[in-house]
Amino acid sequence: MTNKSKQRAKTEISFIVNGEPKTVRAYTMERLLDVLRQQLELTGTKEGCGEGECGSCSVLLDGMLVNSCLIPVLQAEGANIVTIEGVAAGDTLHLLQQTFLEHGGAQCGICTPGMILAATHLLNEKPAPTLEEIREGLSGNLCRCTGYSQIVEAVAEASRRKAIA
Amino acid sequence: MRSHPSDFEMIAPGSLHAVVSLLTREPGMWLPIAGGTDVMVQYAAGMLPSRKLVSIWNLPELRRIEVTASEIQIGAGYTYTDLRNHDIVRREFPLLHTAARWTGGIANQNRGTIGGNIVNASPAADSLPALLVYDAELILVSVRGERRVPYASFHTGYKKTLLAADELVQAICLPRRFAEHFGYARKVGARNSQAISKVCIAALGKVSNGVVEEIRIALGSIAPVPLRLAETEQAVKGKAIDSDLLLLAKRAAAAEIRPIDDIRSSARYRAAVAGNLVAEFLNRLGAAFAETGEARDFLVRWNRLPVDKAISLILSCCGSKAWAHGVVSRRPLADEAALLAASHDAWSSLAHADWNEAFETHPRIGESRASQASPQSVEWSAEEQRNVQQSESGVQKALADANREYERRFNRIFIICATGKSATEILEILRRRLKNDAATELHEAAEQQRQITHIRLKKWLQ
Repeated sequence: MTNKSKQRAKTEISFIVNGEPKTVRAYTMERLLDVLRQQLELTGTKEGCGEGECGSCSVLLDGMLVNSCLIPVLQAEGANIVTIEGVAAGDTLHLLQQTFLEHGGAQCGICTPGMILAATHLLNEKPAPTLEEIREGLSGNLCRCTGYSQIVEAVAEASRRKAIA
Repeated sequence: MRSHPSDFEMIAPGSLHAVVSLLTREPGMWLPIAGGTDVMVQYAAGMLPSRKLVSIWNLPELRRIEVTASEIQIGAGYTYTDLRNHDIVRREFPLLHTAARWTGGIANQNRGTIGGNIVNASPAADSLPALLVYDAELILVSVRGERRVPYASFHTGYKKTLLAADELVQAICLPRRFAEHFGYARKVGARNSQAISKVCIAALGKVSNGVVEEIRIALGSIAPVPLRLAETEQAVKGKAIDSDLLLLAKRAAAAEIRPIDDIRSSARYRAAVAGNLVAEFLNRLGAAFAETGEARDFLVRWNRLPVDKAISLILSCCGSKAWAHGVVSRRPLADEAALLAASHDAWSSLAHADWNEAFETHPRIGESRASQASPQSVEWSAEEQRNVQQSESGVQKALADANREYERRFNRIFIICATGKSATEILEILRRRLKNDAATELHEAAEQQRQITHIRLKKWLQ
């Protein structure tokens, strides 16, 4: 049976983060969240609940919104990962970052990176969502400050500007 | 106690054959992990039963759907997002589609799999009652070969299943014979979404010649395993749906289930809710097949329209898409009263931005059209504002000025239920409402919009 004192070896795991190829040495069951924050120092991804309920650790994994606290890093081998640090283009804010700023879509800021990534995923899937679709798209992301109205408005505004652009 | 990753080992062999070979070589040693939405939660809590995990995420043999003339075979690795996006699931198995929508937020739907939900065997899983009423069968696979078992026999006790130590669930088979049935799904929890159910129901039925011809009811969260209500079904079958039958069904259901007391709810509450849900299902089943009166005929046809079409028809009554979606999602609606009640419920759950969307589809009082309105809406607006159009020009001018002042102050057009009101009355009300603070005025405008909507819904039925 399993031997408690036996330490498993670390493994080399490669993926692309925010457009750059990265190779890390990690235990296969390390959470993607911890690898991003501790090894790659991408601390924009936050830990909230650690059990997939709150969405503050949201990242895009091959374009899909996921909770990085629930991803064993081995399952990210070869994946294309986008974190909040990869959303802006250099000094130019992403459209959603801009509209969150204008609409006061952030208060304490803990949920904001996850909200932006969930909204990015939503607008990729549905460029002109209804308000109900916006709320559903963000439903796995909890805001403890309960500033939801401004967040929803920021996403709606981004989709309007996207339609014009 | 939290787990430490150095105590664990995970491998990803990459093919179904390699995984089942491993399960045979070391039976009971390896815990399969797909999207991790359950396993990683247990891991975080230090509750994993094994220190060796084998990844089955994204295995091509499991993440597929096969469609034949008589059934669909859904791969166990199909995610909730995959299910939501599949056309045949949406059209022919709406109860499963609905359950997929209910399960977690988008991120968890992107990772959670139908096979994982089945094997994890939580009695509270929302998709399991749907599988029961659709008569699902499971294909279990090991190096010994495949076997096919009825899903109804799969759960043998709380979190216990028929799965042998060397087996995986490969696919879920659903017969394609329920497309014409009326389907009903509802979950009752502490909140509408993102809450584990206290009781959830999936039910299918068909009425012909005025009596219940076929009926299938399953409940989740009520017993250690998802439960099919065979006795209640028998009690109802062959009978006409009337108030006596609803009462009988309610009692039969409450007697048949032996609900659990747990952290989320009490047995008594669950029995009462389960009885009510069964009665509500029968009521709607009756409505869906009822055919009397012209308004009813119109509603019966509208009840059966695809969601998009049903939304676009009802949007002329109120321009908020969230409202329209809310009303449509409450179908089938039996009569005018049910329609108005659904509209009221949908309207009360909207956000301010949805109200504004509805306001934008009205023309300014005294003008002929709004930028967003449908032709039907334009016609109704003209009828509603007839008195204003026919009033003297001095009042019209004063109205136009007050309108502009209102728009400057509140940043939207002035909304009033104008039916039956003279131009002078409207002008008085407008001047009074100009003195409101922003929050009061928003709610007053929303109430006016609700009244307009209800007048229009009544016209719509004719």
